[in-house]
Amino acid sequence: MSRRDGYLDIVWSQFRKNTAAYIALWLLVPLFCLAIFAPALASSVPFFYYDGHKILWPWFRALLNPEETVDFWFNMALVAFVPWVVAGVIADRAWRRRGMGKWARMSRVAALYICLIVLASGMMTVPGIRPDNRYRARTFPEEQFRNEKNVVAFYPPIPFGPTEQDIESSVKPPMYRKPRFVTNPEGQEVLNWRKSNDGFPHILGTDDVGRDVFVRMLYGLRISLTVGFVAVGIYITIGVVLGAIAGYFGGAVDIVISRVIEVVILFPSFFLILTLVGLLGQSIYIIMVVIGVTGWPTIARLIRGEVLKQRAIDYVQAARAMGASHSRIIFRHILPNAISPALVAAPFGIAGAIITEAGLSLLGFGVRLPAPSWGLILRTGSENYHYWWLVVFPSLAIFVTVTVFNLVGSGLRDAMDPRLRT
Amino acid sequence: MLSYIVRRLFLILPTLFGVTVVSFCIMQLAPGDPLLMQLGATGLAGQGTQTREAYLLQKRDLKLDRPLILNLRYSLDHFQAVRQAAHFLMADESEIARQLNLLAKSPNDPENRAALRFLRGLGIPRFRQRLADARERPRLAKAVAAYARVYCEDVGVHGVPPLIDLLRRRDIDPHEKIGVIHALNAMVVQPFVYTYSYPPKDADTAKVVGAWRQWWRRAEPLTRRLSDERRAELTAHFRGMLELDRAALFEELDYIDPADTRFYIETLLSSTSLHERAVAAMALRRLVRNPLRLDVPPDAPRELIEEVADNWLVHYDLNRTLYEPPLWQRCLYCFTDTQYAHMVWRLVTFQFGRSATKTREFVATKIWNAVLVSAPLMLMAEVVIYLIAIPAGIAAAVYRNTWIDRWITFKLFLLYSIPPFVAGMLLLLFFCYGDYLKWFPMLGLHSPNADSYAWGRYLLDYLWHAFLPVVCLSLFSLAGLAMYSRTAMLDVVSQDYIRTARAKGLSESKVILKHALRNALIPILTLFSSFLPALLGGSVLVEYIFGIHGMGRLSWESIEQKDYPTLMALIYIDAIVVLLSILLTDILYTVVDPRISFGTQDGQA
Repeated sequence: MSRRDGYLDIVWSQFRKNTAAYIALWLLVPLFCLAIFAPALASSVPFFYYDGHKILWPWFRALLNPEETVDFWFNMALVAFVPWVVAGVIADRAWRRRGMGKWARMSRVAALYICLIVLASGMMTVPGIRPDNRYRARTFPEEQFRNEKNVVAFYPPIPFGPTEQDIESSVKPPMYRKPRFVTNPEGQEVLNWRKSNDGFPHILGTDDVGRDVFVRMLYGLRISLTVGFVAVGIYITIGVVLGAIAGYFGGAVDIVISRVIEVVILFPSFFLILTLVGLLGQSIYIIMVVIGVTGWPTIARLIRGEVLKQRAIDYVQAARAMGASHSRIIFRHILPNAISPALVAAPFGIAGAIITEAGLSLLGFGVRLPAPSWGLILRTGSENYHYWWLVVFPSLAIFVTVTVFNLVGSGLRDAMDPRLRT
Repeated sequence: MLSYIVRRLFLILPTLFGVTVVSFCIMQLAPGDPLLMQLGATGLAGQGTQTREAYLLQKRDLKLDRPLILNLRYSLDHFQAVRQAAHFLMADESEIARQLNLLAKSPNDPENRAALRFLRGLGIPRFRQRLADARERPRLAKAVAAYARVYCEDVGVHGVPPLIDLLRRRDIDPHEKIGVIHALNAMVVQPFVYTYSYPPKDADTAKVVGAWRQWWRRAEPLTRRLSDERRAELTAHFRGMLELDRAALFEELDYIDPADTRFYIETLLSSTSLHERAVAAMALRRLVRNPLRLDVPPDAPRELIEEVADNWLVHYDLNRTLYEPPLWQRCLYCFTDTQYAHMVWRLVTFQFGRSATKTREFVATKIWNAVLVSAPLMLMAEVVIYLIAIPAGIAAAVYRNTWIDRWITFKLFLLYSIPPFVAGMLLLLFFCYGDYLKWFPMLGLHSPNADSYAWGRYLLDYLWHAFLPVVCLSLFSLAGLAMYSRTAMLDVVSQDYIRTARAKGLSESKVILKHALRNALIPILTLFSSFLPALLGGSVLVEYIFGIHGMGRLSWESIEQKDYPTLMALIYIDAIVVLLSILLTDILYTVVDPRISFGTQDGQA
């Protein structure tokens, strides 16, 4: 370790020593890619569709007009992905030539992606730019099946949508493929397929109305990740601001904020979340806000303690002597030194929020059908344990995701803990 | 130490205040009226009188008709509004529609202006537009009738004095008195008390005797006189009735003769013994179906109106303290007769009342029954957690960086990542459902016929049922506690006094068990603060999955059924238990570790 290493370099070198956490950090990349590229992997809408007269591009229209707003953000991320990679590589080179540090470049590239997503979403609100979803009412697999001769269509690798129902193949085990012919009561063999994607196997089976479990889990990943990140973002913001204010100003402010922290901590959190969601209504945004509003006290407490410690150190006095304002001292001088407990808590918080969302959906207080959510699949599974794939696979998904975030969190904790530093 | 505890107890007060504020906000967040939710989609105007009365009683029971935090209704003048309400309650819908036409035609007439002001204040949706539209008026008339009634119900006691003033006047049209009587019926639920509450209280005497005296004034000339023999006979029989217990008394009352009414009313009016009066009132209630008329049909004759009006005047006299409280009481009511004050009072005195579900069980009973189910489960889970986690954590710390440490840490980490409900569902799937193994039952805590078992078998049955839930409840917290005790032990092991102990030649087991362990247990003690709340709290999801009717299930159900009294009580009790257990832990801390004393520190509470 050379003398020029910054704090982040030290943390990073510590983090890399923890193999499990390091692997988990890299596992986040495919996890996010799965969430972002879900429509490209699985959708019942073809990329292009040639009906004998002209070529349609229904997938792109559906991509820009999703039913769920969560899907909209992820689709924008998908749209912005290629421009980001190109722009990111170019910008990164330019910044490196200017001698910018590794971490500054990385954070700027990440910020670039967020800017591009916001830009893309903003463009979609300009009238005339977003193409309308004029094929919403058409079921392309069915159309294609009816006149198979003339049609050329190209589907994503898994040609099922997250809300596409098929009562005939309800609760079917993994790798189920709809039989092409069935014997009817008169003993004749009749064609059973109705759609061009009927011959494709359901990799992880189907649920009670014949929706593909794997596809729903894929789209459910989007909901889980959104809930996790947004809820934790909300409560870390609230917690850091309130905790810093309480710790920095002390006195009456501290007493009031500490009482508020104590009051919110007193309520058992899952129960409080359940109550609020039950009263306010079930929507994914309400769930995120409620988790955020109930989760901040622990963060505020940690930050308050840390700020109290930092406030006594001389550099704060120095900053004040130089005439820095309170907000500048708090946010530019103290917080960078005091924020590590909040950063450590973030991955654990994300894991917790994912668990909470799944639990709420399992109880029927979470997202509403037909939105795909792991908890909702579990809810269907809990009605009849005979359909084991409805229990095992979502459980596995929750377990893997939660483990990944917990591993990253524990790695971060060990790396940021100065007692373990060598 | 003592002063520290006292200070902490004082700090609990503002926190509890915050708790009640948060609970109150949650209650107010409720969309619509929690009681209407329960009555279902019958709608406001379409309810039968029975449901309507039950609804009103319940609403007043929970004080939901009061203002939120400041009650100024005692100092407001309701006369004009109440008179208008009575006016609209008198008429039927076609009459109201006709009046609406007049109102729409000449809105600036002074009398019409007052009527319009009242109607606008009712909060009928889109009133102005609908009044302007002639085709809408018949339907608007229907709405006006319903809303005027609801207005009367909401005004409650405050509307009664002006209406009584109207009834007393000789100059008003008897027809208008009908409207007044309708309005009074909407405002007052069960105006008269005919029998004593059980056990009888002397405070009821004035109301009970007053009601029956009013009845007797009209009924006396029509009642048969009694001969002396019969009277003596009845006196003896009545004396016998006084000896009976409540159930037997009820049975005995089935056989009394309506011809003897005069005896019972004379006993009630003349007796000095509370018990005699109570029994006599019960007998009278059994004999007289409908003592005092309080409502009139729209086409009532003048005499009937006068009779009913007279009854209402008597009601007002009997309840004068309720309607005309003294000035100091009115000032007090500004702050104490509000929804918030009543809620705080219910919480502070732990009088949670009845739940808002159809069964109207007592909230306290409901919660107690749930605690009896979930507390043993949680106790077992906690014991399992402590028995496994602490040794595991300490072993991991002692054998730090060996394969034992790595194995334990890894296993614990996996456990930490399995949410309890996922573990529960997987366990149910593999061990209960029967496609794989059928070792444990699916649902509940007892077999269907468990009540007939001997206690040994009952216990085994219970343990058999409780095994998987306990496993689920323990898995998640196990990892946290073990990690915590590992860190605590690691901290201790690196201390100087452990090195000293080793240096003076103590055996390794003695160093660990005697010197390290005792000090490592101190931070673990802090986790006891989660012990009590967990004991009372239960787990919503695990109880949901395993079909256990404990605290978690109760809270889930009360949210689903919008049972606010239960919900509030649960939130409040949970908060108090957490608060107390935190305090308890701090005290325990000082007891165990003499180095820590809160008495000497300032402001570090």
